[in-house]
Amino acid sequence: MIVVHRLARLLVVLVVVTFLSFVLLNLLPGDPVTQILGLSATEEARAQLRRELGLDQPLLVRYLDWLGGLATGDFGTSYITRMPVGAELAERLPVTLELLIAAQLIALGLAVPVGVAAARRAGRALDQALTALSFALLSTPVFVLGVVLILLFAVTWQVVPATGWTPITLDLGWNLTSVILPAVTLGCGQFAVYARLLRTDLIATLQEDYITLARARGLSPRRILWRHALRPSAITLITAIGLNLGALIGGTVIIETLFGLPGIGRLIVDSIFSRDYLTVQGGVVLISVGYVVVNFAVDLVYAAVDPRIRRA
Amino acid sequence: MKRWRTPATLLLASTVLLACSGQRPVAAPEQPGPAATGPAQGGRLVYALSADANGFNPITDQFAAQSYSMAGTIIEPLVSVDAGGAWKPYLAASLTPNKKYDEWTIKVRPGVSFSDGISLTGDIVKANLEAQKKSPLTAAAMTPIKSFELADPMTVKVVLHHPWVAFPYLLAVQTGMIVPPASLNDPKAASLKPVGTGPFVFKEYVPDNRMVVTRNPRYWRAGLPYLDEVEFRILPDSQTRAQTLEAGGVDAVGTSRDEDLTKFGAMKDRYTVHRASGMAVAEYMFLLNTAVAPLDDVRVRRALAHAMDRETVIKTLRGGLTQPADGPWSKDSPWYAPGGYPGYDLARATALVKEVEAEKGPIRFELISTPDPNTMQGVELAQDMWRKAGIEVSIKQADQADLINRAITGNFSATVWTQFSSQDPDGEYVWMHQAYAKPVGAVSLNMTRLKDEKLSAALDAGRMSPDQATRKQAYATVQQRLRDQVPYVFIDHLDTGAIVARTKVRGIGEHVLPDGEKGLPLTGSPIPYHPFGQLWVSER
Repeated sequence: MIVVHRLARLLVVLVVVTFLSFVLLNLLPGDPVTQILGLSATEEARAQLRRELGLDQPLLVRYLDWLGGLATGDFGTSYITRMPVGAELAERLPVTLELLIAAQLIALGLAVPVGVAAARRAGRALDQALTALSFALLSTPVFVLGVVLILLFAVTWQVVPATGWTPITLDLGWNLTSVILPAVTLGCGQFAVYARLLRTDLIATLQEDYITLARARGLSPRRILWRHALRPSAITLITAIGLNLGALIGGTVIIETLFGLPGIGRLIVDSIFSRDYLTVQGGVVLISVGYVVVNFAVDLVYAAVDPRIRRA
Repeated sequence: MKRWRTPATLLLASTVLLACSGQRPVAAPEQPGPAATGPAQGGRLVYALSADANGFNPITDQFAAQSYSMAGTIIEPLVSVDAGGAWKPYLAASLTPNKKYDEWTIKVRPGVSFSDGISLTGDIVKANLEAQKKSPLTAAAMTPIKSFELADPMTVKVVLHHPWVAFPYLLAVQTGMIVPPASLNDPKAASLKPVGTGPFVFKEYVPDNRMVVTRNPRYWRAGLPYLDEVEFRILPDSQTRAQTLEAGGVDAVGTSRDEDLTKFGAMKDRYTVHRASGMAVAEYMFLLNTAVAPLDDVRVRRALAHAMDRETVIKTLRGGLTQPADGPWSKDSPWYAPGGYPGYDLARATALVKEVEAEKGPIRFELISTPDPNTMQGVELAQDMWRKAGIEVSIKQADQADLINRAITGNFSATVWTQFSSQDPDGEYVWMHQAYAKPVGAVSLNMTRLKDEKLSAALDAGRMSPDQATRKQAYATVQQRLRDQVPYVFIDHLDTGAIVARTKVRGIGEHVLPDGEKGLPLTGSPIPYHPFGQLWVSER
């Protein structure tokens, strides 16, 4: 039942988001015709191409036409590359997915132990160092962090390539070396957020009565922390992971441009600049679906992590 | 406890392993070494470009500089340009005009074949030119052409509506690039997998990532290409592109940043810097709409030019690396004619402003700029200089698509602009001739909308007269009229466009044309391009 409910919500989200993005894109001055034909095309040639692309049709007609195609799995054809948008997205999706997953793994892999350690020693040197590091990472724009990391790891120490992308299907080793620096750059900001959230929640949890009881029963501090305090403290962290997806996708636009990765973010931005409406629409659909699905998964994880939610 | 510790340990370990994984993907920068004695066969070149192409079909896809770099390794033009800027036959064996220059006979070079095995013939050339004339992309440029006739299997006659002495230059760009019949029949496939007569053949293309081309074993020019393979890497961020070169991830990069020229130029033992020059260099300017107030008054336009301190702009924006421009052609171009530009003179600018204000009131207009920081810095500098002369300018940011759309439809007063890198001045005909100036609201190739009879007559004379002295005089008149009427406030010649390569990469800007002449080293803007067939990699 919950799946049906979520699917219905997804459809509403899709229609609203895609309609708004379609309208907003079309409100942007300029159109794809100048991008395709360049400066030197005649008025007649422009008008003819506009007709061929269907750009002379009213906005609503074009939107409904596109929506009808989407219902049958057809994302349309790119005005600029003349490739099916679905194929373009499918080609780019693995890059962005791998980047997002790697960034999240790095962020969580560092944030959980660091957040726990800081909560355990709240107010002490480690906690203060984490606070300083978190604020430093949060206040550093990803493009600055990316350039600094490239300078250190690629130019100075030469342990990873500065830019470029090797698909996972071509060579796993090279794929990992090409994703590590972008993923670290993207994950650093998330690490700071996650570590701070976990630390704060853990400190609050450690003040709870049942923790005092556990201590009184003689359980070791480590067991109390990892076994009894971490799970209830992770709810906010899990919420943040779901909500952060949007911020991460925004970050991939910069990261993919900086590191020369052929992902979804770069495709969407390039398509906005070239007024390739249908490609942008395809990207919007993909992101909307991803966002709803991830947050649905987050809801399921809540129930797994906290029995009180499961029983409610 | 173990349930938590194990995954956490694995994650940390994998992160460390990832960071330290495998062999080093990058080589240490090589030490300077003595130059090799001659070109070496073999090797692979990784070449970073700033943007991807919109497709590789010269008939359906708009070619920018990066398109010429990539597609130019596979598809060749009928005509090329030599180091002196003169056109030379390439896939054509010869181009001969009739006495009136309203007919050109193209003899196709014998012994040339496409990589798919089909021989290049007159009917293929004719079919390509006819497709170009029909294409909405290039039809406007081919308007002076009346028809194409196949005179014999290897000869195509081009009949023009009027004399056109610079016609061969049209065949040195995408309009003259020849593809096989299969590409003409399937333009979509040709857009993704180009086929041609060039030194390399298509191997792989991943949009926004890379294109790989390999040696064409049946290339018609003996001994070429030298390289086995070229990989073009698309790296849009200029800073990380330069860092990738430093890290050894690529062998050469295109750049237009003055800091790259300064930095890599100082490391002569490790890098070579190749800059475009002459007619190949575009000009940076403010494009003025002469059809709308207050810029319809030539005194206001002159005041803008007088108030513009080009030297200060160059020092601020380009680190002093470029030369001030006073017209569409630079001083190292054979077409340059000196004198007459309204240079920096704030007192003169202020006097002109006061004169206009006395008649028409305060002078205010909107200046459009793309939002990138360097361009905005230049625009704010101009705003400040013009304010000092008494002109109030508001700045409006617009992305590239919006800016171009406004320029061609006349929905602007002034905008930043970069243009004029044709090899022959006739290449700028449609941008300046009054026949191409349309009213505001209509698409106008003459974006300043300046209707100047003397300027247009000079452009006509330059187009139609075969006499070199007459042409030179005509284009001197063009420059004089531009300086008098000021439809553009010129700033500088953008010769910061360059290719930076590791010293092991040889042959950039040193290619020889099929008939033995030295070819034009670099062309295109903002980042120049060059042929790849004669590049080679030395051992050191």
